[in-house]
Amino acid sequence: MTINKLSFTILLASGLLFSGCNKVLDLKPTDKIPAEALFGDPEGVKLYMANLYYQLPIEDFTYFRNGFNWNSGDPNNGGFAPAMATDEAVHTEFGDFVGDGDFNCWESSYKLIRDVNLLIDAIPTLAIREDEKAALVGESAFIKAYAYFALAKRYGGVSIIKGSQKYTGDAESLKVPRSTEKETWDYVLELCDQAIANLGDGVSRRASKWTAYALKSRAALHAASLAKFGARAPMSGAAVNAKLIGMEAGAATAYYEACKSASLALINAGKFELFMPNPANPAAAAENYRQLFQDPANKEVIFAKGYTLPGAFLGHNYDIWYQPAQVANGWPHPGRMNPTLDLVDSYESYDNPGHSSPVVTSTDGNITDYNGYKASRTYIQFDTPNDIFKNKDARLWGTAILPSTLWKSIPIIIQAGYVKPDGSAVIRTNDHIDIGGTTYYTYGAASTSQYSGFDTYGGNNTRTGFSFKKFMNQNAPIVPGWNQSTTDFIDFRLAEIMLNYAEAVVESGTGDAALAAKVMNDIRKRAAHTTDIPLTSDNVQRERKVELAFENKRFWDLIRRREYHTEFNNRMLHSLLPLRDLRALPATKYIFVRVDVPNTNTKTFQPKSYYRPIPGIGSNGLIQNPQY
Amino acid sequence: MNKLKYIFFATALALGMTSCEKDNYDGPTAGLSGRFVDVKTKELIEQDIILGTTIEIIEHGYASRTPQALIVKTDGTYANTMLFANTYTVTPVRGNFLPVDSQVVDIKGQTTLDFSVTPYIRVQDVSIVKSGTKVVATFKLEQNVINNVKKIGLYAHSDARVGEPMRLVASEINLNAPSDPTHVYTLEIDLAANSNTLKPGNKYYFRVGALIDAGEAKPNYRPAVRLDI
Repeated sequence: MTINKLSFTILLASGLLFSGCNKVLDLKPTDKIPAEALFGDPEGVKLYMANLYYQLPIEDFTYFRNGFNWNSGDPNNGGFAPAMATDEAVHTEFGDFVGDGDFNCWESSYKLIRDVNLLIDAIPTLAIREDEKAALVGESAFIKAYAYFALAKRYGGVSIIKGSQKYTGDAESLKVPRSTEKETWDYVLELCDQAIANLGDGVSRRASKWTAYALKSRAALHAASLAKFGARAPMSGAAVNAKLIGMEAGAATAYYEACKSASLALINAGKFELFMPNPANPAAAAENYRQLFQDPANKEVIFAKGYTLPGAFLGHNYDIWYQPAQVANGWPHPGRMNPTLDLVDSYESYDNPGHSSPVVTSTDGNITDYNGYKASRTYIQFDTPNDIFKNKDARLWGTAILPSTLWKSIPIIIQAGYVKPDGSAVIRTNDHIDIGGTTYYTYGAASTSQYSGFDTYGGNNTRTGFSFKKFMNQNAPIVPGWNQSTTDFIDFRLAEIMLNYAEAVVESGTGDAALAAKVMNDIRKRAAHTTDIPLTSDNVQRERKVELAFENKRFWDLIRRREYHTEFNNRMLHSLLPLRDLRALPATKYIFVRVDVPNTNTKTFQPKSYYRPIPGIGSNGLIQNPQY
Repeated sequence: MNKLKYIFFATALALGMTSCEKDNYDGPTAGLSGRFVDVKTKELIEQDIILGTTIEIIEHGYASRTPQALIVKTDGTYANTMLFANTYTVTPVRGNFLPVDSQVVDIKGQTTLDFSVTPYIRVQDVSIVKSGTKVVATFKLEQNVINNVKKIGLYAHSDARVGEPMRLVASEINLNAPSDPTHVYTLEIDLAANSNTLKPGNKYYFRVGALIDAGEAKPNYRPAVRLDI
């Protein structure tokens, strides 16, 4: 390089540097809309609002342990659902449980909160009517409350960002320390009240007074339970000392009171009612219950997340992952939601109201022997593979596909093996036996396309003895591709609010006990129960477990009541093996064996998991939750 | 062009080789190890390997107060031989003994630090034998605090580090009462009823434990015994 060339380069560089202030570089980006233009137009606000709703941390069909809206172009999560981290279900193959990195929402929540705060800043400047402004204020408060609720139930006390922050060159000034857990819950309820005061009382797909009451009912019950049951899992450390996690037991009273009043507002609103409250018989009740979720356009729904179009970020994947193998329609990975025997046991039987009714398989009545089939034991013989569930709560029939029941007009075959005439058994081993010119197969049929249970082929067959029905679309064949399901998800429905009320009354010991018992029994009547049961803590919890199964409520019930670490201490979940009993030939008979879920390990919930780890403490300077 | 390519390549290589030089710090050379010893009997205090006692250490000289955790082994000893030499605040937490205060320790080279502590419960006169189709454990309890004894348990596992959190089979009794120092407690595991998990003809480890009713307390144990079933 000659000197000349070098000086030319320097000249050129300095020319560029010094001319940087020229207007030619002050171009407005053409791929972004400036705030004034967006918020200056009411239509722009609507668009912005749609984006905020999309970000709401709703634990719906696209909620997964890695986050929300898990329906991108390739949402392959192996068909794992949050229910599989509870006692509701297991996956056909995975044994995953609650890990440190699971079920977090820190960054997505604060992103949403910032987006809402920007809108709140803009509301006073909008050229719209005052009532429209009030509605936007209320809607913003609702969305913000939803985000802080998601944070509080995972992290305890968090940084409360009340208004939008502006960066002025000093990063330190943007850091907001964590509030106490109590302050955070109080803030959630305060935002709910703001929403209630500003929102209208229509019922639509957007936030209303009623959705705000519903959120308040759920959040207040959560907070009250933490205060009441926190002592079941004591913790220590810096976060505890600063009250960033944990609340005094005395705080429970006010939270239960808040839950009761918010729930009552909804129960007495005259706008919501249970779907099909008086079924003719259990079979009708089971079908009603199924319909409630397949098409949530009914008056029980307070708030739903709608799905309209298939496609990336539009549809979801419940149908491809969870419908039984026989109806896979070319999709290679069906059948992954396996409801457990533990859940099935919880449902009442019509002849023993008010009690869980575990499935009894043998004449000795022993329901705790999980050691497998024994020829010496006398098993009760049944005429069909589902007779054993005949008297069980209709909601079991509406939630799970039971062996040899019809789905899309096909009998779903779930069989684990057979007992030979000599009393020896073939279980979960691909085999067949010829007797009197008829061939009997382990899995109830000859080929993998003809059954849906126990064969490990493809990980497509249930290993608990139950397949999945709730939320499944019965009306259309499976479309074998990503994000093709458009069934809506009910976030809040009246039955949950009624059970919130019942729980708040029974746990606080105050309130209208007669009404609480009535609403709980109304829900049972809808499931074809005819005998009322008394309002007790156990009855309310069983009712929640069966009525709200798979709605991603069980996880939080175990968390907020601090029951996870005792329910899951080396917990083995269980399966029910239906076996064809060939000793009974020529009669057709089946027996059942209670066993540990095959190929699985025990699960233990670590008490530290009651709070999730806060990310980025190295830079945000926040106090970490204990033991992370 | 070819020349340019070489120059570029040589420059990239030179940059690549040299850039690591400056942040090549020495690895950790110090360590901390020691034992948890019963102040009265001088015996090691048995622990759980998972969810057991941990020692939190905070290295001085940094803004971050996030502790590192040292896991105590089942026999009551611990060791971390890969620490940076520095001053640390050392605190055993969530243990099965009366809480002890933090102490500031200069860790230089391989440093030894023993803790002389009072266990919540001394499990004594332990006998674990196979009797017919059962494994029967008998033992006495001597508690050193007035709290209730929450539960006692007999735990079985194929691994020697068996304990309350790590077991294939457990036989537990919820006492929720103060223990009687003269009473002989008995726990049984029915081998026939657990034949699916404790397979006949194999050897398994059995260990008894007792848990005090105190926040975050861990069970107290005696060493596991191995039985042929």
